[in-house]
Amino acid sequence: MQTPLPRRIIHLDMDAFYASVEILDNPTLRGRPVVVGGSCQRGVVSAASYEARKYGIRSALPIAMARKLCPQAVFLPVRMARYQELSQRIMAIFARFTPLVEPLSLDEAFLDVTASQTLLGTAEEIAARIRMLVREETGLTVSAGVASSKLVAKIASDLDKPDGLTIVPAGSEEEFLAPLPIARLWGVGAATRKTLALLGVKTIGDLKKLPPRILAAKLGKLGPLLVDSARGIDLRPVEPEREAKSIGNEETFATDLFDLRRIEQELLALCTRVGRRARRHGLRGRTVTLKLKYRDFTQITRSRTLPAASDDEQTLYTTGRDLLAKTEAGSRPVRLLGLSLSSLETAERGQLSLFSPTTKKEKCRRHLSHAIDAISSRFGEGAILPGKLLATEKE
Amino acid sequence: MKIKVNKEAIIDCLQKVQSVINPRNALPVLGNVLFKAEKGKLELTATDMSLTVRATMEAEVIEAGTTTLPAKRIFGVFRELSVDEAEMEVNDQNIASIQAASSYFRIHGISEADYPSLPEMEDPKTFSIDQAAFRNMLKLTSYAASVDANRPLLNGVLLSFKAGKLSVVATDSRRLALVEHEVEFPADAGMDLIVPLKTVEELLRTLGDSGTLKVLATPKQVAFEFDRILIVSKLVEGTYPNFRQVIPQATGDRVSMERETLLTAARRTSQLVIDAVSGVKLTFTKNRLEILATAPEIGEARETMDVKYNGPDIGISFNPAFLMDPLKALTTDEVFLDLVDDTSPGVIRSTISFVYVLMPIRLT
Repeated sequence: MQTPLPRRIIHLDMDAFYASVEILDNPTLRGRPVVVGGSCQRGVVSAASYEARKYGIRSALPIAMARKLCPQAVFLPVRMARYQELSQRIMAIFARFTPLVEPLSLDEAFLDVTASQTLLGTAEEIAARIRMLVREETGLTVSAGVASSKLVAKIASDLDKPDGLTIVPAGSEEEFLAPLPIARLWGVGAATRKTLALLGVKTIGDLKKLPPRILAAKLGKLGPLLVDSARGIDLRPVEPEREAKSIGNEETFATDLFDLRRIEQELLALCTRVGRRARRHGLRGRTVTLKLKYRDFTQITRSRTLPAASDDEQTLYTTGRDLLAKTEAGSRPVRLLGLSLSSLETAERGQLSLFSPTTKKEKCRRHLSHAIDAISSRFGEGAILPGKLLATEKE
Repeated sequence: MKIKVNKEAIIDCLQKVQSVINPRNALPVLGNVLFKAEKGKLELTATDMSLTVRATMEAEVIEAGTTTLPAKRIFGVFRELSVDEAEMEVNDQNIASIQAASSYFRIHGISEADYPSLPEMEDPKTFSIDQAAFRNMLKLTSYAASVDANRPLLNGVLLSFKAGKLSVVATDSRRLALVEHEVEFPADAGMDLIVPLKTVEELLRTLGDSGTLKVLATPKQVAFEFDRILIVSKLVEGTYPNFRQVIPQATGDRVSMERETLLTAARRTSQLVIDAVSGVKLTFTKNRLEILATAPEIGEARETMDVKYNGPDIGISFNPAFLMDPLKALTTDEVFLDLVDDTSPGVIRSTISFVYVLMPIRLT
């Protein structure tokens, strides 16, 4: 028996991805603070260029706040289709080096290159090659961390951003982690940080000095997990192609919505998008979940299981509207509305249902949906819409 | 309360009632069995608030009375007794003393006053049916009920009393089982009851092989009376899906098969089925059936058997568990399968009034 090779994992993280794509497409923006985010007043920052970050602008910050921090920044709307296109090209580059690519989002992925090393050079060399190829083929920069686990690789990639490469040789994980602030570890949020600060723990190295008993007493189950993390122990494998568990969409409104009819209109728009995405991926879902955030940020969800898996927006809409009726929408201002479809199954392959669309009307609707999908993909989203939504479009 | 009981009789009764007790109930008294002794009879009752089971047995009642005692404990005590007779006395503090030969037990109970009373049934409709026939109807259908908690309506078995017959139906939307039996009742007494699966399981466990079953029903509750047992259950509220609509009228081509042969062949091939969506493929050619299961990188299983079939060649895939369920429940020698094409439901029938509609798995 051969002893298994020590794992080598690369975490790749595109630098300020959305903002960098905008700069790539409009080079006059280079060197200026660029903020990409929700188009309306109430949206949040999706990405900020490094110049914008100097002003304290971060992802998830409300756009209005960002405008205050840096009025001279260039604010751009999210162009998801373009980012997806580039993401696909980047992921394709990653895939040349190993089949074990686990994308975490459009701009981030883990690669397990343990077995690739005999053919393609050491993990360090592979990481350097990938960084070079991404720059040459897309004009974008990516930061990389190379280590023996996902945990350490991810921390490493973040250490020398932007355009950095951090290598943690096998065996030196503890040494690498020790001086870093404790908040770098997964699972350490504000509350845990406070608890640990009281115990005199500031760095990851400090954590290991604590007797395990105290740690367990103060942090419960998280304690032993954190100690493992502090040692760089993380056995999670790189899992390629995680299957989607749900398809959803949500919208934060420019101003809170009071009128139930208006909310229903937004719901229809969401259902149209979710239905189209489900059909595009050949998926159907059995559970419809409605998410609602009121003005005071209280968030509720309501869900219902359909008699048969569906990808039909009309079914989603009627279900969503029933769920909406169980909420305080219409009497309490609504800030955010979301709809998702889960318990997914592959539409064409799989167990057929007794109660699935067999009536003529349902079959007709399916044909209609497919025709609308074809028109939308050729002439763009919004080329064809339910009449109910036209009024909103004009506004 | 003071009684003398036979060990086997009380164990039998306790076994019948205690299975309804929900071990996670919030009220301690619901973990107890209600004892009521009077006039030479001991009545034992257990409930989870939705389902109540009461069993009555003969006992020598020296002093009438009621109490409630912890179900598991009391069952364990009687089960382990070395002799056939035991004497039980319960004092004012609901403490039971059990004496049998050289054994003595003292068990703390809870007052009967804390125990929920059986809900009254107002103006119920009454139906009578042969116990064994009814049990067989439940056996032929209940496996098809959905266990998905998100679909409460399908978590029950439908008892539909209409037009001089009882139709029992269960479905999980992928297959549907229906069995019918003639029952006499007034024309205006027809009604639909959706009986929760837990109640059906209780019935399957306790119904006997002979005698009559009396069903009393109101829109929200049903009671089953048979032998010396009373089962009272809440009903699932709502309207059951229109099951007649999914039973294909057009018959298509019919295959006749030996039930046992098909069952064992399906069971063997299912060893190579890895998930619920791959299924086994049934290919019918003239008087021949081939069952095939393939699993990428694992292997394949193939069975062939003689059948009676004269139609065009046809291939169709089913979840093997769904195919086997009715074959296990039926006892007839022969079954029929009516097929139209590979995306239309297959219909299994038998020489009795049984219909099983099974949706195929679409593979391409």
